[in-house]
Amino acid sequence: MFEQQLINGLTLGMIYALIAVGYTMVYGVIQLINFAHGEIFMLSAFLAVTFITVFGLPIYVVIFMTMGCCALIGVMLDIFAYRPLRQSPRLAALITAIGMSIFLQNLAMIIWGSRPRPFVQEALPAFLRTPALSFGEATVSWLQLTIFGTASLLMIILFLIINKTRVGTAMRALSQNRTGAALMGINVNRVISFTFALGSSMGAVAGIMVAIYYNTLYPTMGYVAGVKAFAAAVLGGIGSVPGAMIGGIILGIAEALGAGYISSLYRDGIAYAVMIAVIIFRPSGILGKSTVEKV
Amino acid sequence: MIGKFWLKVVLTCSLLLILSSPALADTIRIAVASPFTGALAAYGDNVKAGVTLKVDKINAQGGIDGKQIRVEWMDEQCEPREAATVSSRIAQNRNIVGVVGHLCSSAHLAALPSYLRHGVPVVAPTTTAVSISEQTKDRNGKTWAFRVVYRDDYQGEFLAQYVSEILGLKNIAVFYENNDYGIGLKDAFVNKAQELGLNIVGQEAYVGGASDFTPQLTRLRGRNPDGLFISGYYPEGALIAGQAQNLGMNVTKFGADGFDNVDYITLAGSAAENTYLTVPFLADVAEGDAIEFLENFRERFGREADWMSVNAYDAAGILLQAIAEAGPDRAKIRESIASINSPENAYQGIAGSTYFNDVGDTLKPAFVKMVKDGQFVAAPVQMD
Repeated sequence: MFEQQLINGLTLGMIYALIAVGYTMVYGVIQLINFAHGEIFMLSAFLAVTFITVFGLPIYVVIFMTMGCCALIGVMLDIFAYRPLRQSPRLAALITAIGMSIFLQNLAMIIWGSRPRPFVQEALPAFLRTPALSFGEATVSWLQLTIFGTASLLMIILFLIINKTRVGTAMRALSQNRTGAALMGINVNRVISFTFALGSSMGAVAGIMVAIYYNTLYPTMGYVAGVKAFAAAVLGGIGSVPGAMIGGIILGIAEALGAGYISSLYRDGIAYAVMIAVIIFRPSGILGKSTVEKV
Repeated sequence: MIGKFWLKVVLTCSLLLILSSPALADTIRIAVASPFTGALAAYGDNVKAGVTLKVDKINAQGGIDGKQIRVEWMDEQCEPREAATVSSRIAQNRNIVGVVGHLCSSAHLAALPSYLRHGVPVVAPTTTAVSISEQTKDRNGKTWAFRVVYRDDYQGEFLAQYVSEILGLKNIAVFYENNDYGIGLKDAFVNKAQELGLNIVGQEAYVGGASDFTPQLTRLRGRNPDGLFISGYYPEGALIAGQAQNLGMNVTKFGADGFDNVDYITLAGSAAENTYLTVPFLADVAEGDAIEFLENFRERFGREADWMSVNAYDAAGILLQAIAEAGPDRAKIRESIASINSPENAYQGIAGSTYFNDVGDTLKPAFVKMVKDGQFVAAPVQMD
């Protein structure tokens, strides 16, 4: 049973990690906690189902289309909601983020209704539900394996983009000193837009995977997932991309083991308790940089 | 001149008084409190459909004493917090003479204090929680809240007997939602099951709105149950059934009235097969007025009526009959409903006859449905 709980937790953790990188990248670049990120995750699930049912496209095409659409929504969010507030106090942008989250959630309710709906099972290859590996009593389904694989691949790509490309270098420069980066000739707004696009498309993949994994989507699904992923980002050290990955996996496993061995009613509580415990001993998170305020 | 001015003032005031007094208004207003948005909006739609059919029928026949019935739809999203607000808004609006609602037991329990304090008669179509029976009387011992559905203890015991005697299950795993409905139903089931010698292999709670049940299911799977009792509502029930299937658990699932919604099958897909559920009404055994109702319902809403619509139709019928007898006065309406207290003067509705005991409860038979080939059908064996 322990192995099975661990596998379940790891699956959940991979998904949290994918959403968490969206929070952490945006925070790293503009010090904003983008609370509407959970809603992008939710929108991606609905967009994917709509693309499949309305246009009848195969799932592989739909994933890329949804990533593109969500990247676009993320960029629009930045241009219309956050860019006008770039020079305002950080609190103003934070409240706007919460407002955008409520707006997008209600928009989804108007468009798709508030009833939960299933994912289009017919669009998925049938083998996904079959067991891929089994050892002892534990089984890993192809779907879980696909989630591990996709998430790991995306993390590697993300790592390469941030560390090996020009735009990644620009992102890192921006997170160190925005004014300095601008003086070096970096187009700040374009880099910020790119960050939103990258984070949103990661969140989009997570949204589709969650909708397939649980076979359900509803307009409020982004809220809980968003808060959990935010906790994962804080746990790993907000602003640090590898930290968000580690934080997501720790949180997912803590939740699954807590629900499996302690109490299923307190599963969220257990996940947050782990986060709080880490923050007490390492206030900047596992991989966070402890910055010294220079006077 | 001054005399004319005062005459105008008096006339205007008395006109306003006449307009605002419920007894003289040209409509009679009742409220229906249910979730019309949110996760359980589909249930609220069913209640709305049932009440609409009843009210339209009476209005088409000329209303009550020549007055048309107007319904105020109050959305409480099945949230106790919202229900408390909605109920005090209803109680303070003297034009509303009675309530059909609420749909969820938790919401109903949160709403009752306002109704009792202000004296509003309320007929609940679907609330099955046992604890409601203790909350229906005001300080003077008058019962204001009635329900036209059986209680969870009856339903839970019935279900335990059914799975033990008819389905022949032995080892039962229990999943319950952590609210008044889920806990009450689960307790009644577990007590009776143990009495009947069934083996309860584990009990797991979940919070409404949760989406990942694999940790609990994994734990239960290790104990090899042959039956899975889900004491809750269909959105989570469908997820539990689906995830149990993914984990390779091939068990008979069963639940109660909270499962009775087509969305259960849509959401759970093939995992919904082999699910049994108790319901207070079964179209297959309907007769008389009920057949006419089912036909009207199909024609008007383009789908099959389920038990919630049937009960909402009867609940509205009882309230409107009381209004017709007693006039639009909250206290008199209460007396009229409370006087339906024996089999002789029972209200003859489409779900059978209804009469209330001292605390506003009623006893009605339960039926069993099952999911077969992606559809709800009557279970082959019913139990008396």
